[in-house]
Amino acid sequence: MIRGQSGIRPIRAFDTSGLPCRIASEIPQFDARKYLDKEARKSLKVMARTIKLAVAASQLALDDAKVDKSKLDPTRFGIEFGSGLIATELDELGEAAIVSANCQPGSVDLEKWAEKGLETIPPLWMLKYLPNMPACHVSILHNAQGPNNSITESDVASLLAIGEAYRILIRDQADLFLVGGAESKLNPLSLVRQCLYEPLSKRNEDPEKACRPFDKDRDGIVVGEGAGVLVLEELDHAQKRGARIYAEVVGFGASFDRDRSGSGLARAIRAALKDANLRPESIDHINAHGLASIESDVREAKGLQEVFGSCNPPIPVFAAKSYIGNLGAAGGSVELAASVLALQNGVVPKTLNYELPDPACPVTVIAKEPRPVMRDCFVKVGFTPMGQCAALIWRKWA
Amino acid sequence: MRRRVVITGMGAITPLGNSVPAMFNALLEGKSGVSKTVHFNAKRFPTQFAAQVLDYDITPYVRDVGSWTSSGVNTQFALGAAHQALTEAGILNDSKIDRTRCGVYLGSGEGIQDFPNLIYQIASAYRSESRKMDVPAFSRGALVAFHADSEAEQELHTTAAHLAIEHDLEGPNYTCLTACAASSQAIGEATEMIRHDDADLILAGGSHSMIHPLGVTGFNRLTALSTLNEDPTKASRPFDLRRDGFVMGEGSGMVVLEELEHAKRRGATIYAELTGYGSTADAFRLTDSCEDGRGAIACIRLALKDSGLQPADIGYINAHGTSTQVNDKVETLAIKKVLGETAYQVPVSSSKSMLGHLIAAAGAVELIICVMAMRRGVLPPTINYEVPDPECDLDYIPNQAREKRASHALSNSFGFGGQNVSLVVSRFVN
Repeated sequence: MIRGQSGIRPIRAFDTSGLPCRIASEIPQFDARKYLDKEARKSLKVMARTIKLAVAASQLALDDAKVDKSKLDPTRFGIEFGSGLIATELDELGEAAIVSANCQPGSVDLEKWAEKGLETIPPLWMLKYLPNMPACHVSILHNAQGPNNSITESDVASLLAIGEAYRILIRDQADLFLVGGAESKLNPLSLVRQCLYEPLSKRNEDPEKACRPFDKDRDGIVVGEGAGVLVLEELDHAQKRGARIYAEVVGFGASFDRDRSGSGLARAIRAALKDANLRPESIDHINAHGLASIESDVREAKGLQEVFGSCNPPIPVFAAKSYIGNLGAAGGSVELAASVLALQNGVVPKTLNYELPDPACPVTVIAKEPRPVMRDCFVKVGFTPMGQCAALIWRKWA
Repeated sequence: MRRRVVITGMGAITPLGNSVPAMFNALLEGKSGVSKTVHFNAKRFPTQFAAQVLDYDITPYVRDVGSWTSSGVNTQFALGAAHQALTEAGILNDSKIDRTRCGVYLGSGEGIQDFPNLIYQIASAYRSESRKMDVPAFSRGALVAFHADSEAEQELHTTAAHLAIEHDLEGPNYTCLTACAASSQAIGEATEMIRHDDADLILAGGSHSMIHPLGVTGFNRLTALSTLNEDPTKASRPFDLRRDGFVMGEGSGMVVLEELEHAKRRGATIYAELTGYGSTADAFRLTDSCEDGRGAIACIRLALKDSGLQPADIGYINAHGTSTQVNDKVETLAIKKVLGETAYQVPVSSSKSMLGHLIAAAGAVELIICVMAMRRGVLPPTINYEVPDPECDLDYIPNQAREKRASHALSNSFGFGGQNVSLVVSRFVN
């Protein structure tokens, strides 16, 4: 991101010639085996790609945190993941579909499905796709016996998961969490659905320019895949084991924006500020939701204005989706990691593709080049089109 | 001083009736909600029966019936139970309370896939010789055949959003899906949210139906379901030696959780108090609980500790009691390990013997059953209990309801995949 490099390209995972959407932020050559020891690799067979991403990111997080599991109390080691609907791989139902689909379009002979089709479906088929399986697999792989939840709230799932873990740590029911989320919609069934009901960008010919949060010429969302996992740990516990600390979560708020005006988002942010005992002026930058749909960015700008509008100089906005598209249940955690590293490195990446301001989105966007960090806190915000909102405030660990 | 959380309203849509009183009366009579599957043609499936919600009409529960045609039954059941709970709590149209401090937390399942269109499109594009999909052909066909609105309604966060919009609940809004523990977890986490002063009132509970071709396919392939097709009402037999798997149910349970002073100020009726919550993971296997019961034991202990109660204070246990070989044995072991000697004095029953397994919605409905049991002074039975299992030797209130005044009840939900939740609910004492 610091180099201004986009992750959005033509989709390679499958042939998209039947779809109006041909671009996405795809993880090239992802091999989950690299992240697991030999013993654990057996379990990959019952994992959808989404779950493999969660497992790989969890291993990376634990390695980065240098967690010595032998010294952890497993009953105080929890998992809070954001998760979404995981679509089935179509070929797993192929044989069953062939024997049972009638000539009549949209008609299935359920008796043939049951008699001849069932036996062609792998016995553990359902387990590959249940939304609680990322948290399950990771808990098994790492013997995490503490509090465990799978939050399925779409684009704010991982933010709510982190917020809930934060609250659990505060009430002293755990010492350490793996938090975050994983999602891959890069499979035919998921992408068909996205094309049906999400406002996707049509800029297939120019993928790197397609995702344009807050820009006047934005034309829609770009789908992405990924996983972002953080180790969230109680401070004493971290210090006692000499852990390296990146940042501290200091505030959390959530709300529902019923009239879709952005005021719900403002309430979530204000709740987080109150929780952190901070004023808007203390925020270095806003790590935006920045969905890049025409409507969502307008709503977000209104909400941000409500909270930060009177700040002078204005609090600028960074929109990570301009690089990686919308990762859904993984979006919040992946995007906020960029700001955590920004605090550490003293510089916030620019937002890609912000070339023409939109008067309907009065926000100050970090645009032409990376910007030095000036204060020690940032706020990560997110919301769903239907109205669920969340905000998390982080402070650099000095 | 920790903020106290009470229940001021309840609602339920279940295979034994589409209201809390109807359901509870049927439970006391030992009625079974199980019958031959009617929601789809299951006659050649390994399992041909389920506990189904019948005669349910959302009309009384929504402002505009026409706007719900694309929503799955998960949302439709939730609308009914939520409306009942909010009405009972007296806040359906109360403009005096601060709605930005009223949230929603659901343990709620996915919507219903468009099975016929999905399978037809797969069949049209699947090449048997190569065992591969012609993806462009599938894509082109599906884009035309699928209905955008009902596809969107399958997303997991839609039910909680709909409830917030329909009932003007603008506080924190969550959905979780820890399988069979989901709605218990929703209630537990919502309780903690109120205790932490993040909200004053939360509509909490769950809603689910997997009684459809892909749902039954998935569970039948795992051999998790009972196949007692010759006698469906007897199939759900928790703790019985011959138990052979769970029976699918469906429905919704909702409670209004409220901070105590907030409830008193507006003169709300208080039905019970949520006194304890515990959440753990087995970290063992994808499908079976750990045989030593470690996850369940830890979970029950945490809930008790949270409530400040002793094992001897528990007057009734509503078990997870799925009627699988493993769960019922391990749950029995866990209860004995935590309660020690008093385990044999505490009546335990599984409502799943009559309601089947409501999956994500089970926890909420079973918590409501605990509240009703304490209010009425009668505990519902475990029906179909005919052949005792030597490894399951507790008092399961076999076959007949029992009069008993319990002041505190424990409700267990041990999810598929090892996520466990226990709740303690108590008679309210000022």
